[in-house]
Amino acid sequence: MKVGQTKSQFVAVASIAAELSAVMDVAKEISLAAANAKAIAFRAGEKAKGFQPITDFINELAKETIELVEAINEHALSLYQLTVDEHRMTDAYNKFEAVSALAKDTAYEDSLKQPMLKAHHNMTECKRDFKSNVAQLLEQLAEVMHPARAARVIAANSRIEASQAGEYLQSLQAVAESVDNAAQVIHDNVQRCRSALSVVNLTE
Amino acid sequence: MKMTNIYEGSYQWIMFGRDENKPDKIIDTNQYMVRTANRCLLIDPGGVELFAPMLAAVLHYAPVEQITDIFASHQDPDIISSLGLWDQALPDAKLHASELWEGFIRHFGCESIEYVPIADNGGTINMDGVELQVIPAHYMHSSANFNIYDSQAKILMSGDVGAALEAPGAAMFVDNFDAHVEKMRFFHQRWMPSNQAKRVWIDRVRELDVNILAPQHGRMFKGDDVKRFLDWFEALPVGIAV
Ligand SMILES: [Fe+2]
Ligand SMILES: [Fe+2]
Repeated sequence: MKVGQTKSQFVAVASIAAELSAVMDVAKEISLAAANAKAIAFRAGEKAKGFQPITDFINELAKETIELVEAINEHALSLYQLTVDEHRMTDAYNKFEAVSALAKDTAYEDSLKQPMLKAHHNMTECKRDFKSNVAQLLEQLAEVMHPARAARVIAANSRIEASQAGEYLQSLQAVAESVDNAAQVIHDNVQRCRSALSVVNLTE
Repeated sequence: MKMTNIYEGSYQWIMFGRDENKPDKIIDTNQYMVRTANRCLLIDPGGVELFAPMLAAVLHYAPVEQITDIFASHQDPDIISSLGLWDQALPDAKLHASELWEGFIRHFGCESIEYVPIADNGGTINMDGVELQVIPAHYMHSSANFNIYDSQAKILMSGDVGAALEAPGAAMFVDNFDAHVEKMRFFHQRWMPSNQAKRVWIDRVRELDVNILAPQHGRMFKGDDVKRFLDWFEALPVGIAV
């Protein structure tokens, strides 16, 4: 693996962490919007009857997103550790090769064989772990897209329900709007995570 | 990497330095090794850039698995930033370094090597029956700092004390003390922080029988030049940047 490749790995993994923390913020906003909507719908009573189950559903989606992102965050952290390990091991192996070239015809050059074999084994194992971790992370990221997509559908429904809520029309519409925006943001962020990761995966 | 035997008895002291392939912007360092029957102690093994030439040089004297001990006089990168690489090369090794620096030095990578913390009052390292003393040299220049003294070989590895900034390819030993002084003055005045610590260190070293004072940069001092160095250093005010 070349130095530039490792660098791009560090950047990719770090940028995932950044995108995910933004996703987390947005998911929390949705959760807040849902609580807000619930209060409004409660006050609106009969007029917003159709809206009440929707607010519960929005809340569920927000919770689900937060849980997923938490799991992904943990995974991204271990991926970062793997990136560090892989970098160290690859670097060590390359340095051992340099030692081996410099140590030609020294009395004890053969003693280098064992550490080199071990380093090579560690490096290969680390690369394999890294690959499978990236694949898992990509799957998890795909999962986060589901609640985000569902939220957009719900936002559309909310708008229809809101239109029957009389004087509460505007506040409920605002709720629908913010859920829609949030879902869009999550969708975009996760998409960026995925493409950052795919770059790492493909250049392997 | 040049190799110089500085003690030859039932065991050896070897100095490694003046590496011709060293990148220009990196300060030149002296690495030392005590080679006993079945073990080797690397003293201040150096920075990351030095790892490959250093290990290759050591392989003239010993197989990898006999490099069992590393000593770091303090935490500086020119002393020990190669640790992460030794960590992967050595199957069974210990690192002897100040307990104060453990959390810092581990940043260089220390997974398989065992960190043996040295308390402030120093201690000993026993290598196949050869007893090396770990002498406190705190604030000389680092706040937790040690030297290695071998009473049989009469060698004091003094870390950054006695260091000189030299042109590439300088000789191994000081041959003209008066001319050498100018290469040491600024280094000692600026890097050594405390006159009080200097005083304590000089008193301590004067108690020892030292034939070779072996610093981590520049030339070594031998015989009367050791005493000359102590006298010169005694008169030199340090900690000048404040
Ligand atoms: Fe230093
Ligand atoms: Fe130094």
